[in-house]
Amino acid sequence: MLTRNWRILSRQYSQAVTFRTNESSPQQHNEKQTGLFYTLNQDTCKSLFSNGGFPKSFLKQTKTFTETAIMIRQPALDLINCIKSTNFDAPVIRYVLYGEKGSGKSLTMAHMIHYAHEDGYLILHVPWVSEWLRRVPRHKEMSNSQTHEGFVDLPLDAAAWLIHFKTQNQALLKAGELKVSEEYVWSKREKTEVGAPLSELVEHGITRVKYACDVIYALVREIKTLSNKKQCKTFVAVDGFNSFFYPLTRLNTPTKRKVKPEEVTLTTTFLELTKNDWTNGVILLSADQLAVPDDHQESYFPRYLLRKKGFEHLDPFVPIEVGRYTEKEFLSCASYYRDRLWLRGPPETEIELKFTSASNPYKFMEQCAPL
Amino acid sequence: MNSGNWFLIKSLCDLSFRQCRGWRIPPRRLYANATSFPDYFKNPIFRKEQQGKLIESGELSKLAAVPVKPPATYETCSVYHDPLVNKVINHVMEMGKKQLARSLVEKSFENIKRTQIERYHLAPTPEEKNKIELNPKIILHKAVENCKPLLQLSPIKRGGITYQVPGPITEKRSLFLAIKWLLDATNDKDRTVHFPEQFAWELLDAANNTGKVVKRKQDLHRQCEANRAYAHYRWQ
Repeated sequence: MLTRNWRILSRQYSQAVTFRTNESSPQQHNEKQTGLFYTLNQDTCKSLFSNGGFPKSFLKQTKTFTETAIMIRQPALDLINCIKSTNFDAPVIRYVLYGEKGSGKSLTMAHMIHYAHEDGYLILHVPWVSEWLRRVPRHKEMSNSQTHEGFVDLPLDAAAWLIHFKTQNQALLKAGELKVSEEYVWSKREKTEVGAPLSELVEHGITRVKYACDVIYALVREIKTLSNKKQCKTFVAVDGFNSFFYPLTRLNTPTKRKVKPEEVTLTTTFLELTKNDWTNGVILLSADQLAVPDDHQESYFPRYLLRKKGFEHLDPFVPIEVGRYTEKEFLSCASYYRDRLWLRGPPETEIELKFTSASNPYKFMEQCAPL
Repeated sequence: MNSGNWFLIKSLCDLSFRQCRGWRIPPRRLYANATSFPDYFKNPIFRKEQQGKLIESGELSKLAAVPVKPPATYETCSVYHDPLVNKVINHVMEMGKKQLARSLVEKSFENIKRTQIERYHLAPTPEEKNKIELNPKIILHKAVENCKPLLQLSPIKRGGITYQVPGPITEKRSLFLAIKWLLDATNDKDRTVHFPEQFAWELLDAANNTGKVVKRKQDLHRQCEANRAYAHYRWQ
């Protein structure tokens, strides 16, 4: 009896499954394609994600698989539908992705960024907030802010983000239709005049790293006014957003004082951006357990991760859960792995892996590795 | 005999010793420390295929009334269970940290797989692609098979002089030496290189019949060949 059931199950799994779709534009993705993989072409990949945006383990996979393929999943489709039916005259809607570790929040975000790119949005994407607040390499550049009393600047991180912003929005910035509406005086000799293109502001931040944080602050204000005036539509994506609300960062000032996240200028800037006091935009955030230390990862729900302060800051928002693989998604993923030679062996392997990984995408990928 | 039969050999030995019990010869323990199970407990048969064989041959009814030890955590009916891999993990293990040892070996399998898949994609023709072995476990089996020595040198003292005398080697010892040499070669690495990477390289080399370990085996064989004049000391 047992062996028969086993055989039937194996036969079910060994059937050829379609796991790929040729539709490479996220605008055209619909419910029919759930669970299928679509391939990003190399150029978009380079322009969108060359400075971060994919998790490290996924980057490794893209190298081994010699292609970048993302699965079309329900949360992303829901988001696309929501965005398509949004009234852009109303204040921006904030979406919060949440889910277990390794369930694909960052990749859903990457899918959405591709969508926004195709749809002509101006993208402000923070690949991983903890990179600023929690990762402290040996030489972390830090200085006291000159414009904001008692605040801390992270000039190198800010400049790196500006480069990321520039590469993601090359086309829009090159068109030069986005103009600065205020005059910014950086020092005696340096200033950005009214009507200068936005790219000049960005360029200034990159070349004069000292002012990078202030440039980002100015940039965010400019983008808000530009979106309000309907000159561009804006897509904000911040991965690991809950890191902004954890009581302490791992940064130390030269006087060995612990820095709180609200004392970092970048935090204030991005909290300013995620308020819903502007229109003609979309804000996509993610609450991730990995963005906070191990001892505060008890639950993956936004109320716990964002804490009271963050929850009140974002309220009202649309929570979107990124869950484990469904039956169909798991099958298509397994056959994709088989196609990419990542998984081999008898068909019973899938049944076992499904059981041991609990259909968690990351765990599944990890457990396939030594097989 | 290949290494896959290891468990079979173990159980066979077990049975033969059991038969000795009638003649009041104290049975030899096959495990280092005392266990909570008396000697008449049978080793568990945990593989589906072996169970199937037992059912077919009708030996199951004989075993039904015999007390059996519970299987250990590593003795699973999982599809990707491999006795040799278990053996290697146990050799890698230090201070009983099995989880770490297992993760290290699995990591090196992953590294093997990545390099092989990369080679596979780089290969220009389908024939060359077919030649590339992608399964890390098969690579491990090949590597161990290639590293097993066929002879050994044992020191024997004759007339105040210790001679290195060549002689045959048991299957078990040659397996032990193969794994030991592979790990010796791996641990002889730069501080900055991690174990999984180095182990992956060593395995790939050995599976290819090249590298440090295969050379070591050949050196031993050469030494045995050179010392063949002493062979008679084994029995004189």
